[in-house]
Amino acid sequence: MENIVDLKNVSKTFKGFSIENINLQLKQGFVTGFIGANGAGKSTTIKMMMNLLKPDSGEIKLFGLNYKEHEKEIKERIGFVYDGNVFFEGLNLKDIKRIVGPAYKQWDDTLFKQYVEKFELPLNKPMKTFSKGMQMKASLAIALSHHAELIIMDEPTAGLDPIFRRELLDLLQELMMDSNRTIFFSTHITSDLDRIADYIAFIQHGDLVFHKSIHDVAENYAIVKGAIDLLDSDTEKAFIRVRRTPTGFQALTDNTATVKDTFGDTVVIDRASLEDIMYYMKGDYQHV
Amino acid sequence: MFNLIRRDAILQKKMLLTFIPFILVFIIIDSHHPAFIFLVASIFIPFNAYSYDEKAETNILLNSLPYTRKEIIAARYLGSILYTLLAFAVTSITLFIFNRPFTLTDIAIGGGLFLLFAAFTFPLFYILKPGHISMVVIIIFLVLAALGPPIVRFLAEHFTAITIFINDLSTETLYMGTTLVILTLYAISWIVTTIIYQRKAF
Repeated sequence: MENIVDLKNVSKTFKGFSIENINLQLKQGFVTGFIGANGAGKSTTIKMMMNLLKPDSGEIKLFGLNYKEHEKEIKERIGFVYDGNVFFEGLNLKDIKRIVGPAYKQWDDTLFKQYVEKFELPLNKPMKTFSKGMQMKASLAIALSHHAELIIMDEPTAGLDPIFRRELLDLLQELMMDSNRTIFFSTHITSDLDRIADYIAFIQHGDLVFHKSIHDVAENYAIVKGAIDLLDSDTEKAFIRVRRTPTGFQALTDNTATVKDTFGDTVVIDRASLEDIMYYMKGDYQHV
Repeated sequence: MFNLIRRDAILQKKMLLTFIPFILVFIIIDSHHPAFIFLVASIFIPFNAYSYDEKAETNILLNSLPYTRKEIIAARYLGSILYTLLAFAVTSITLFIFNRPFTLTDIAIGGGLFLLFAAFTFPLFYILKPGHISMVVIIIFLVLAALGPPIVRFLAEHFTAITIFINDLSTETLYMGTTLVILTLYAISWIVTTIIYQRKAF
């Protein structure tokens, strides 16, 4: 199947921060959650996907096309939602639509009206009077009204109340009924992902730690608890990171099967949530 | 592309309502040369547009939409000419209504000075940090307005060769030459700004 997004050996260096040799391929028809701590490189990666930033080296292709020759074709097919409001805050939604709509060949006014009604958005109030949730809905309404094949969102759920977060996730699920659609969104609220993500890409300190299906993650990652005397230099190899406490150890593994073989019933194995994984991998993780 | 140019009109709808009173002030004060009024009128919309465009969010938005960076800059340079022409039309009508005489030469001088000023300041909007730009542009404008005429006078007195050369030219050649020089500068400015903008990160 075609890769909708294809990052090959992409690097970008800033003062005090760099993204190094990221390889990331997104397949058509799936939702990928992009997780990582604040400052891990999520926004930078998204900006490079949108050609707002150019990588120092490496290759970026969307829909199999490069930005150098096909910038417009690519962006016609993307719907974007950013963390902050990028629309002119003094304008109302009607005027914003008049500016953004004609930019797209496939802009669908009827669809836009449907979303505006669905989200109960006022058309005649300036954007700056909108709450954070309403701004997000407005961005979303605009992003969804030109039949985009790829929807890229940077922290769409940040700052939203729990109810609207769920509504948003339901809506994304609904959008995915169209199997041609691909969604890529960054978040640090990992509980959002359990419900809708097919794949998880995890970035840390500018490094893509893993990109796996959520099923793989659930199957292979686990939190293991047991007595300290079970640990030695050999058995510890099964773990990505071990935390020792006076009462025993807790460790993260990405290989539940091996752990079961090695320790049998002497340890407790719990499912690792994405948050657990992020927490355990924080700092200098020792990855094999 | 046309949509990018139209954007300024939508953004500045409310500001445009102040356009006519703004010109009226200059007409009523009655101490300004018509060419100066045309110059001020032409500066109004394009420079006002930059108060939006200098914001990072605007650039993120425009560059996420299906436009190329080349087009965004082209819309700025072509749009400025278009809005200047419109501003001239409105100003001419206003001057006419208030019975202030003006000539085509006044329009040409106002337009020429605008293009010259735009050529030098537009690239700055993409080099300088947002927030400082308006100040810098106002200072440049005032400095040019204050120092321009004395410098020309100084040149005229001390570099007689130039004066003689210019005097020898026919009016037509002079106008054509000036137009060409200004348009060339505007074109160079356009190219420079495009190069700067293409290298920017948002």
